[in-house]
Amino acid sequence: MSLTDLIYLSQKSLRSNILRSVLTSLGIIIGVSSVITMISIGNGARLEVEQQIERFGSNNLILRAQSSNNRGVSMGNNSVNSLTLKDMEALKSEIPAISAIAPNVSLSSQVIANGNNWLTSVTGTTNEQFNISNWKFELGREFLEDELVSGSRVAIIGKTVQKNLFGEDNPIDEVIRINKVPFTVIGLLDAKGGTAWADLDDTIIVPLKTAKQRLVAKKFPGDQIRQMTINVSSSDLLFKTEADIDTVMRKLHKISANGNPDFVIRNYAQFLNARQESSRVMSILLATVAGISLIVGGIGIMNIMLVTVTERTKEIGVCMSVGAKKRDVLLQFLIESLMISLIGGCLGIALGLGVIFGVSEYFNWKMSLDYMSLVLSFVFSSSIGVIFGFYPARKAASLNPIDALRYE
Amino acid sequence: MINITSISKEYVMGDNKLLALNNVDVSINEGEFVSIMGSSGSGKSTLMNIIGCLDVPSHGDYFFRDNNISNYSSNKLAELRNKDIGFIFQNFNLLPRLNALENVILPLLYSGKSKKERVELALKALENVGLKDRTHHRPNQLSGGQQQRVSIARAIAGTPKLILADEPTGALDSTTSLEIMKILNDLNKSGITIVLVTHEDDIANYGSRIIKMKDGKILEDIKNVPN
Repeated sequence: MSLTDLIYLSQKSLRSNILRSVLTSLGIIIGVSSVITMISIGNGARLEVEQQIERFGSNNLILRAQSSNNRGVSMGNNSVNSLTLKDMEALKSEIPAISAIAPNVSLSSQVIANGNNWLTSVTGTTNEQFNISNWKFELGREFLEDELVSGSRVAIIGKTVQKNLFGEDNPIDEVIRINKVPFTVIGLLDAKGGTAWADLDDTIIVPLKTAKQRLVAKKFPGDQIRQMTINVSSSDLLFKTEADIDTVMRKLHKISANGNPDFVIRNYAQFLNARQESSRVMSILLATVAGISLIVGGIGIMNIMLVTVTERTKEIGVCMSVGAKKRDVLLQFLIESLMISLIGGCLGIALGLGVIFGVSEYFNWKMSLDYMSLVLSFVFSSSIGVIFGFYPARKAASLNPIDALRYE
Repeated sequence: MINITSISKEYVMGDNKLLALNNVDVSINEGEFVSIMGSSGSGKSTLMNIIGCLDVPSHGDYFFRDNNISNYSSNKLAELRNKDIGFIFQNFNLLPRLNALENVILPLLYSGKSKKERVELALKALENVGLKDRTHHRPNQLSGGQQQRVSIARAIAGTPKLILADEPTGALDSTTSLEIMKILNDLNKSGITIVLVTHEDDIANYGSRIIKMKDGKILEDIKNVPN
């Protein structure tokens, strides 16, 4: 008996009891939709984390000055800028795991060009910043060595700044005024897109020395800086380096091991890990639901198939009397349970896609569907059908023709 | 064609052993029309089931066309039923979800014939029983007589050598019974061996030979001239 004939006969008997077939596959529907949703949530979270790392640069720590509590009186944020370029040099020489450090100062400033004005954040830093933070240039170039040394009035602008000041026009060699100081635009950064916190493209980067001399001379006198972005040579060393920086900084700033530090170290990896962890918990929860409902669904199929075999005992006898072999009967019932579970699988995929679409629209939660999960669902549901359909099918096949025929 | 030597069939029911067939010898030649008669419990159905390879004897040998099939596997028996034997039942035993044509095709599905050949054979069989215009009716849309004719078509679709009819008119009125018996008679004339089980004298009378059974034994085995 050919497969198409078997499928034809199976769909005939399934269609004669559509409601029962669909109800039977309910467990599979829920199981498969959970599997799909689970995988999508996991994938979405992983992708988001990867994108964040891509944006911020991997293996980065941020060391920032922080007001310390002075005899119980908080000096307020930014009131003390205790971080200096000397600290930077010391860290660089004392901790070999540090591969690069970009110092920076920053301010919020009104920028005027082309008759437009725009409030943006201006950062003074060195060329290291571009490497460490994964900035790519759409147009123009990095700072030249003598521009950094002499404090030239040159600026590299982000995509959002370009859009607001120049529209789609080429901004290179145009003059912009930051705090009334004219700067020449020498570069345009590639777009990075927004994050949950900020638009990373809304930025202007100028040489550190220029910023310190002309924009934030009062706020960051001498060799003081606001923060540094520290690149660690390998992600395995990230946490150890964080501890080393803490030790070195305490020594430099003469703060005891349990004293309040006047700096803070931020670790993006830590933050991203937490985000990944929470989606992992969600996935485990869904995997449990999926697993339980697939098993319950399988038992449901087995139960209904046993009922079907009993109901159709006489019919099995008739088929055997006209020449059906054990194998034919076995296959017939296996294909029926396989079809039930595949129907469940398809409906489950549809439901899962609906859930994914709904959740990502409503919660603005990033979910990513990959085709592997569809394949996986098919494999899952069909193996459930075969595994749980096997016992009833074997029971049907092992019937004695004459007993089956006589069954009332 | 059929040679049965000292066959017995025991059923075990709890502690009791029931001897449905007790040392029976029968041989049936090609082209015969044999009626098996007897009251219920006489063993006539058991004998027919064994002849039809639906059941296996407890003891004794069964030669079908010179092959000893007493030790055939269930697969080989299924093949034999499929190719050489056609069944007609008292309650027709058609599959309710399939239409007349599909019911007739059923045995051909198991014999692995091509789709075209199957439909041709099934249509021919339905034509033979005068149901060419009812091919797409389901059993519940057909009268009892028509259903029995579909089941005859199913029995002959695979061009078997032997047809076994178990009380084929038991659920039919006398006019329809006559039609059915006429079809069986014609089939016999075309060369098909027929074994018919009945407890009605006038039905048994169609046979060229009548075997009477009682308590698992053959009481008498006589030639008969149908009138």
